[in-house]
Amino acid sequence: MNQPLAGYAPAPVTARMENHGNHMLKVAMQTGNDLLARVGSMVAYEGFVQYEPNPPAVRQIARDWATGEGAPLMKCSGDGLLYLADYGANVIVINLNGDGISVNATNLLAFDAHLSWGVERVKGLAKFAGQGLWNTKISGQGWVALTSRGKPIVVDCGGGEDETYVDPDALVAWSPNLKVKGKRSFKAQSLIGRGSGEAYQMAFSGQGIVVVQPSEDSTDRLRIRG
Amino acid sequence: MAREFQRGHKARISDLTAGTDLYVGVQISGPGLTFDISCFGLDADEQLSDDRYFVFFNQPKSPEESIQLLGAQAGDTESFRVTLDRVPPQIQKLSFTATLDGAGQMSHIAPGYIRIVAGGEEVARYAFDGSEFSTERAVMLGDFYLKDVWRFAAVGQGFDGGLDALLKNFGGEVAEEEPPAPEQPQPAAAPGFAPPAFGVPASAPAPAPAPAPAAPQPAAQGFAPPAPAPAPPAPVPSVHAAPTIVAPLTPPGGAQVPPPAPAPAPYGQPPQAPQPPQAPYGQTPGQTGSLPPGYGQPQPPQAPAGPPGPPGPPGYAQQPPFGQAPGPQASYGVPQGAGQNPGVTAALQQFKETPTGQRWTQQNKKLVRVDLGVAGQPVLARQGSMVLYQGKVDFSYKGAGFAGRIVGGATGQEMQLMRCTGQGQVFLADNSTHLHPVELQGDAICVSAENVLAFDESLQYEVRRVEGHGIPGGALFTMQFQGTGTIVVKTHGTPVVLPVTPTTFADCNAVVAWSAASQVVVSSQVRMRRNAYPGDTGESVNLQFRGAPGNFIVVQPYEV
Repeated sequence: MNQPLAGYAPAPVTARMENHGNHMLKVAMQTGNDLLARVGSMVAYEGFVQYEPNPPAVRQIARDWATGEGAPLMKCSGDGLLYLADYGANVIVINLNGDGISVNATNLLAFDAHLSWGVERVKGLAKFAGQGLWNTKISGQGWVALTSRGKPIVVDCGGGEDETYVDPDALVAWSPNLKVKGKRSFKAQSLIGRGSGEAYQMAFSGQGIVVVQPSEDSTDRLRIRG
Repeated sequence: MAREFQRGHKARISDLTAGTDLYVGVQISGPGLTFDISCFGLDADEQLSDDRYFVFFNQPKSPEESIQLLGAQAGDTESFRVTLDRVPPQIQKLSFTATLDGAGQMSHIAPGYIRIVAGGEEVARYAFDGSEFSTERAVMLGDFYLKDVWRFAAVGQGFDGGLDALLKNFGGEVAEEEPPAPEQPQPAAAPGFAPPAFGVPASAPAPAPAPAPAAPQPAAQGFAPPAPAPAPPAPVPSVHAAPTIVAPLTPPGGAQVPPPAPAPAPYGQPPQAPQPPQAPYGQTPGQTGSLPPGYGQPQPPQAPAGPPGPPGPPGYAQQPPFGQAPGPQASYGVPQGAGQNPGVTAALQQFKETPTGQRWTQQNKKLVRVDLGVAGQPVLARQGSMVLYQGKVDFSYKGAGFAGRIVGGATGQEMQLMRCTGQGQVFLADNSTHLHPVELQGDAICVSAENVLAFDESLQYEVRRVEGHGIPGGALFTMQFQGTGTIVVKTHGTPVVLPVTPTTFADCNAVVAWSAASQVVVSSQVRMRRNAYPGDTGESVNLQFRGAPGNFIVVQPYEV
């Protein structure tokens, strides 16, 4: 009976965070090495893992996270294997290794608790999208997992003065040292209800990368459910 | 449907498919084994009378290219393209063989097959596995042979001796050194070995006896460059009419051909030099993998699962020269270098942008990049499908016009479009649907409007009506695109591309596109019993497609 399913057994652990397939994240939990994950993203765990939703430290940092209804993060601690997923989104695992990355709040799945992180509102963009655009800037020595609806693409901004324009709904993450601007395509025709459908973009310039998902679905499914 | 062959089965090709441009794929593998798969073009006596029709990795095609080696693809270890109506009349039989390269025997192989694919559809398959063989080291898998008409036979006959035995069977000879008795140097090699006929070699030292386990390198040693009959080499005075004359690979110095592993190596060796007319053999082994573009595939969507591979060039510097043509933004090509952090770089390497200079580039299954700088003409895209752009690109509303709105409103085939103009690169995607750029070169394709993501403005499009009773609303509408340019079709999930056969049906809700040359007929299946169930509308309205071979339809696994 197990024959057809045998291929999906977990692979041996080789790193703190790993992909299990394209859409699931496997975290090797250890005591003393806590994890912050999106509330509701846990799909399975093995071992002794405890969850503390909305821990005080997180509340402090993310106190002005969009809805204000408490930070959508939970602290996971213990020993074991933890499996996380976000409604079938692709999961990207990054070993920061001293780098930093800015992640759109909806596209963040989990990260090591000891990383330095902060929530900020993307300047000049709050008035665009209904919910405003919140991003989490994470840096340090550790692991981060992002989600993307579909296989993402990484674009290099080039480093010059030229700007790369991104649909905010499709944006996943970017290098924190990039300069970010909001750009509204102001056209007379877009004012009379005949826009091109691309009313506003974010413009990135400088040295770094932008990660974009092939979907304009920026719905925060975990939050909707929870 | 693929027809399953057993060993010994035969069939006319025309019973399998109407086409004569066939793809022959061979899959054969085994733990630790490597195989050389080749095709022998034999004459009426089943002899290899013309060595140019021995198609193998070092001679990837026959002179008039009726037999071409395509390399590994689509799950096949090796593949050929065979154009039967271009095979010259003296070639009466094409024998596909697999020989072991290195140690091993055929009983160790994993299940494999030889299959024939015509028009993107597999029409015949002969599956075999190791249990059919024992200690053989070569196997004839299948034959195309001409007996009034071209036929296919599943052979599955093994040969103990490997490629050399096989060659002897076909009348060719392997000029190889006897391992125990190295030959004397033979600078002007050929004369001594010119056999009068194809049969058993005249001179004793030449071919190794068939089972030569001590020299388990049939491929490496085998098939030294023969002197083709039509153009007898100058230094060989005594060549008879015998077409197949195999000269030893022995270098003038008498050195042994290195037997072990890398098969292609011996072919490039200098001893080939004394025999001038070896043009086909002089090809570098690297050519074996080259694939003629667009083979047997009428349209790009035939290969929907072909996203660009992982980008090769490392680092961020791979941004293609932006605005390739007269683009002023050359600075986009500036290498990124050390400014980026290694950890993030490494993790995201697999998602890098794929650089090419083409106008439309598929980045992955769900993302397409259009470079407006190439060809410079605007692109029409579904509103809101832009996810990212670089350069100076202007997005403006594209109205359908008054008449267009009327038609669009009435038929449901209305597209909310925007026009992208300027210089730069635009990345398009829509809701994680799979994207398929289809390049039209004067031909036409019918796509339902909701499955169009973007297209070149140079394409003309119009609403076409599929008539038929039984369709809710009286008729079915679709957009027909025509001209020269690219259209990006989107599907939910991996689509299936079916060739149009006399019995091709599709659900009108799931069909995405079809080549416009095929005729669409509505077929209503009314079954009283099924329709009698409450709530069951049944699959009552299907579309039937008719057309010449080469037409295709695209169906998505998603019924809108």
